[in-house]
Parts: sequence; structure tokens; C-alpha cells
Amino acid sequence: MKPELQELTEQYSAALREYCARGGEAPLLRAYQLGRSAVGAGVGVLDIATLHQEALVSALLEMLALEESARIAERASEFFAECLAPFELTHRGFEEAHATMCDLNQGLERRLSAVLQDFESAQGEILEQKRMGKLKNDFISVISHEVRTPLTSIHGALNLLKSGLGGELNAQGVRLLDAAYRNSQRLVRLVNDLLDLQRIESGTMTFNMRPVELRSLLEQAVESCQTHAGQLGSKLILQRVPSGVRVRVDSDRMMQVMTNLLSNAAKFSPRGEVVVVEAERAGTRVRVAVTDRGPGVPTEFRSRIFQKFAQASPSPERGGSGLGLSITKAIVEHMSGQVGFESEPGRTTFFFDLPEWRPRAPARQRVAGDTWSTDR
Amino acid sequence: MVHRPLNRILLVEDDPDIQTVTSMALGSFGGYTVHVCGSAQEAIDAAPSFQPDLILLDVMMPGMDGVDALKALRELPATARTPVIFLTARVQPADVALYNELDSLAVIRKPFEPTALVETIHGIWARYRAQAD
Repeated sequence: MKPELQELTEQYSAALREYCARGGEAPLLRAYQLGRSAVGAGVGVLDIATLHQEALVSALLEMLALEESARIAERASEFFAECLAPFELTHRGFEEAHATMCDLNQGLERRLSAVLQDFESAQGEILEQKRMGKLKNDFISVISHEVRTPLTSIHGALNLLKSGLGGELNAQGVRLLDAAYRNSQRLVRLVNDLLDLQRIESGTMTFNMRPVELRSLLEQAVESCQTHAGQLGSKLILQRVPSGVRVRVDSDRMMQVMTNLLSNAAKFSPRGEVVVVEAERAGTRVRVAVTDRGPGVPTEFRSRIFQKFAQASPSPERGGSGLGLSITKAIVEHMSGQVGFESEPGRTTFFFDLPEWRPRAPARQRVAGDTWSTDR
Repeated sequence: MVHRPLNRILLVEDDPDIQTVTSMALGSFGGYTVHVCGSAQEAIDAAPSFQPDLILLDVMMPGMDGVDALKALRELPATARTPVIFLTARVQPADVALYNELDSLAVIRKPFEPTALVETIHGIWARYRAQAD
């Protein structure tokens, strides 16, 4: 035993002996403090017990010499009770703490296990969704390529026949050819729309954003759709476009949006009626609206009009893929815009709002010789 | 640099029906002299003697595809600088980016309207001439 430990043990032993011999609070407190120090310094439990025993025996011998047997018994009983009490309390406290910790631990384990299970399940779902998404994209990509090749021949041949290259057809032949050509056009649109949708959903659709003069863009859109509208018996008119308005868009995508809206309006417009295109400023934004005089959007269809494959009344005559408006919405939103519509029988307006583009005022250039002045 | 007018078109396309439709449209509406090749190898063999002004090149073909065909055609003196337009159903953004890197004039997406093909090619050719002059 190290010398300092030896000294501590001796002091502890002396305090115990004093307490055993004479009792009293001060020796007990001193013995208690020395005992804690001894345990803290590394004196083992057995050594402590031995010290207690020695102190007791020593006190007993003293008391025997004084023939105070009654007091011996009383003192011994008190001694053990007092010595053991703190240990007992500590032990009980420890057991209670241990039990509480075990409960907490079990609770935590249960919660952790539940969280892990949720996490694994969510992770599995995400992986499955990703896998399905990739599968869908691959499928659409392959199918659209596989369909496009034969469609190029079918649509191309019909297109050439319609141009009169194969000679003149009789009335029945013309009707049949028109039906075949119209439906091949429908297939072409469907395949193109499917590819666009796949690009939008996979985030691979590219946008070449540039400031564009809105009026010329709308004029171009109206001009390019006029023939198609004429075939459907309606006329496109461009009205009220504020001059000098510019929007930052991808021109090709913007044309796609306008073609979708104009072709829809022309499809639903009664023969002989006009489809009106107009634009107006609204604060920092500009609204482009396409209005037709058709029967209006059925009430039950309104909530899902911008959803994929949504069609109020699918008809081969109208020949839509049911994807046009959902693609329009996605494109407009990608260009920081919003789409909407207002409809009542005899008047339907589809519109989109875009932020008006204004060039930034050039920053004040600091020219040579400029100096900063300060008030002092 | 003096450019020849657009008269002779080499069409490289493996699908016989698309060959028919395309060459008919080019011949009937544009009055071009069209030489049709069913594979990249056929085009590589025919190009030196045909001396095309423009090559219309499909991408998905058995054997050598259109991308490799263009690289091979660029190795031939007769077609080292001949303008090429891809005529293809493969028009994913990554594909188009690759065609642009390969020094092609434009990409025409299948299916196309044969009656509008000549006009489309005229437009592309006019832009090409304007840039080159």
C-alpha cells in the first residue's frame, strides 16, 4: 500500500475507533468523510470491512475492560445500522435508477426500431418509385422511337398522297385518305407529346431562355396556326397587345404553348366564329389570353383539366392526346408563369401570366477623375 | 469560299419505306438528284463518285450508325466538309447535343411532313450559306 493511502487508512481507522468507543456526531461525520476519501483513493471494500471490524473489536475490548456490557450491545447495534444505512440507500437508489434506465432503454429501442422500420420502408418506396420512373421513361423512349419509324413512312406516304403526288382520287378515296391522314397526325402528336412529357418529368427538357418581344411572338403563333384553324372553320384574331412588352422565354416552347392553346380553341370554336388572342399588363406581369366561343368546359371536368390524359369528350375528330394542356402548364410554370382558365357556355378563355422582362438600368460607372467626397 | 448550289443529295436511310417517301418528296418537290444508300457503308462507298452537296443521314441503322458514319465520311476527301443533316427519331436532348458537336447543320425529327421537307431543307441551306459567306 502506498504511504499516503496507509496514512488515510490509519486516520479512518482512528476515527472509527473513536466513534465506536465514545459515539457522537462529530466522530461519525469524520469517520464518514474519511471513509469516502479512502474508497475514493482506492481502498477496497474488504479493507474497509476489515477496518470496521478492527475498530469494533478494539472498542469492545475497551468497553469490556470498563465492564459496560449493556452499552456494548447497544453501541454495536447502532454502529452497524448507521454504517449500513448509506449503503442500503445507495443500493436501493441504484436499483431504482437501473430499472428506470432499463425502461427508458427499452422504450428507446422500440422507438428506434420503429423509426428504422419507417426509414427502411420509405427508402424502399423511394427506390421503387425511382425504378418505376426510370422504367417508364425508358419504355416511353423506346416505344416512341419504335413507333416513330413506321409512323414516318405511314404519315409521309399519306402526306404525299394528299399533295396529289399519287394522282387524283375520287370522293370516297379523298374521304378515306383524309381519315387516315388525320389519324396519323393524331398519332404523331401523341408520340411527340409523350416524348415531351417524358422530358418534362425526367427534367431533360431544355429551355433556351431569352427576352422576346411578345407581340411578334404572338403574331408568329397566330400566323402559323391560322391554316389549321381555317380547316376547322374558325379564324384567329390578334387583338390588344401592348407594345414594347418583352418576356423572357424559350421561343420554341412558347410557340408550343400558343399552338396548344390556339389549336384547342379552334377545335372547340363553332364554325364561322373567331378565336381572339390578346395580352395585357398586370403589374409586373403580362397576361396572354385565348378566347373562343365554344360550349365551355364541363363543370365536372374543370378540376382535372390540366391533368395528363384529361379529355372532356375524347373524339377522333378532335384528335387530341389529352396531354397538351398538362404540357402547356408544365412549360409555362418552368418559365416562371402560371396558367388558368375561365369558362361559361359560349365563352372560354385560357390564359397564362408571365413576368414582364425589363432590362436592368446600367449601373453608374465610376469615371476616371471621380472622387469620393466626405463631410467632415 | 465558293459553294455549289444544292442539287445532289445523298440520303442514308435503312428503312425502305422511309427511303421511298423521302426520296419522292425531295425529287418531286425540290427537283433534287437523290442517291439513296441503305447503310453507312454503302454511303461511304458511294460518296466519292456521287459528290453530294448535302447528306441526309439517319442515326439508327444496323451495323455502323449515323454518328459513326458521319465520322467516317469526314475522313473521305469528297465528304470532308459536306454539310450533313441528321434525319432521325432519336432526338433526346443528349442526342441532339451530340449531333451539334459532330458539326452537323441541323436535325430533322421523324416523323416529318414530306411536303414540308424541301422547304425545311431550303431554310437550313440558306442559313448555312449566309453563315459561310
